[in-house]
Amino acid sequence: MGAAIVPWHARRVRTTDEPPAVLAEDVSKTFLDHGRRTTALAGLDLAIEAGEFVSIIGPSGCGKSTLLRLIGGLIDADRGALTVAGQAPADGRRAKRFGWVPQSPALLPWRSVRDNLTLLPGLNRGQGRGPVADDEIDALLDSVGLAPFADSLPAELSGGMQQRVSLVRAFALRPPILLMDEPFAALDEITRADMRFLLLDLWRDTRATVVFVTHSIAEAVLLSDRVVVLTGRPGQVADELTIELERPREHGLEDADAFHHHAARLRASLNKAADADGGPASDVDGTVQP
Amino acid sequence: MTALPPNLAVESPPDELEEEPRSSVARFLAPLTGLVLVFGGWEAYVRLAGVSPLTLPPPSRILGHLADDPGFYLRNGSITLVEAMVGFVLALVVALTIATAMAHSRFVERATMPLIVLIQSTPVAVLAPVFLLWFGFSPTPKILVAALFAFVPFVANALTGLRSVDADTLELMRSVDASRREILWHLRLPHALPGLFAAARICVSLALVGAVIGELYGGSTQGLGYQARIAQSRSLVDQLWGSVLSLALMGIVLTLLVMAVERRALRWHSSQRTI
Repeated sequence: MGAAIVPWHARRVRTTDEPPAVLAEDVSKTFLDHGRRTTALAGLDLAIEAGEFVSIIGPSGCGKSTLLRLIGGLIDADRGALTVAGQAPADGRRAKRFGWVPQSPALLPWRSVRDNLTLLPGLNRGQGRGPVADDEIDALLDSVGLAPFADSLPAELSGGMQQRVSLVRAFALRPPILLMDEPFAALDEITRADMRFLLLDLWRDTRATVVFVTHSIAEAVLLSDRVVVLTGRPGQVADELTIELERPREHGLEDADAFHHHAARLRASLNKAADADGGPASDVDGTVQP
Repeated sequence: MTALPPNLAVESPPDELEEEPRSSVARFLAPLTGLVLVFGGWEAYVRLAGVSPLTLPPPSRILGHLADDPGFYLRNGSITLVEAMVGFVLALVVALTIATAMAHSRFVERATMPLIVLIQSTPVAVLAPVFLLWFGFSPTPKILVAALFAFVPFVANALTGLRSVDADTLELMRSVDASRREILWHLRLPHALPGLFAAARICVSLALVGAVIGELYGGSTQGLGYQARIAQSRSLVDQLWGSVLSLALMGIVLTLLVMAVERRALRWHSSQRTI
């Protein structure tokens, strides 16, 4: 089909009439910690279209995670307007519209892999997104190669396997928005590279919007339709980069010139964002090779 | 199955944790050696040194006495056991309730903490006469002393367990707007279980101590603590030592029972894996 040549993001952005999946206008957030005020975000503007895969990257402490928690309705903004598909984030949370992927696998150690996947659907049941059928869980486990471990306890799995369970757990909710907080940061480099493509495989079949917080330039380029670069604290949007790499993206893309070109542009943008703030960008993983 | 990246498809799980390699004979040999040495030494000392049975009867004589009238010890033992177990359960229920309230409210925690410290610092045995004054000839004073003995370990471990849950998991559950009750049931309580079992292992013995102390103060006509007191005042040395041995056995059996339940309930927990 000819349409496949059109970049993924462009196709989606043009065809949608619905309200943006995420719309932040002049959003600020200040924390009070032991009497000290820390402004994490100051006047942030951001729009994310439905179905878009957007990575958030920036210097350490720039408020990436704060932004993710604001979108997920886990904390409230002090100022500005933030909506998720036209709703208040807290309402979206109540309606179970978010698939949350934390940095650690966060599996309940006393539940089997299968029972960990049914945990979130089983909570807050009044909201329609109720229990998931057994064969649906089986299919999800199969899709990440964990079918033989359905009845294993998390402690019997390797770190990479645990993180795969964490990934499919979010997909089990069939959420319109996936919020991921550096989910691969703690993995070794080889496992991490494979996890990226696994995530793309899982995501391809859904129409979900993804907001993906990361420290890794390679990860941001490889996964995203668009990368949002934040400045140092207090965080604002410093730059936005559209990633014009065709989908589906496959192994080996990391070696392509187009990939390096994007990575270089992103790194330059990050350095600028860090310099503008005077802070170091040392926290960002600058290596291009995954 | 969809095609997986090679590294993910062939990955094998970490090695199964190995069963303890030693045989059961070897496992029981060391503790058995210790017991045999102590009781054998006791028996030999009493017989060879000609110690009067009024001072210290040999273990064989105490066992013989127990075998002569097991009904007596079963009857009195069951009285003490019931007092201790009701106190144990009462302590557990009250401690869990208070710890749950404390885990959910800093105000409740701050308001309750001084009282818990007070109970912890008071030698609660001294409250036995107070309870006796209030409740007289009934099991209630013994149950209350037993409960007080078991309360502090339970409440301290319950609070730690309920509160120290993983931040990422808590946030994950909040991301679907899980209620406090759901978080308590699915996250906090299971997470507190290892600590509660550790406390329970200590508290079964403590509750037994509490029940016996309650009986020693009076206000009863049965129970092993009462019988030990009577035996002491009438110089019934065999009965005194019989009561001591029965209580020791009861404590051991109760602790083993808790450990057996723990082993089943906490199969997921690292404390139940042989290293």
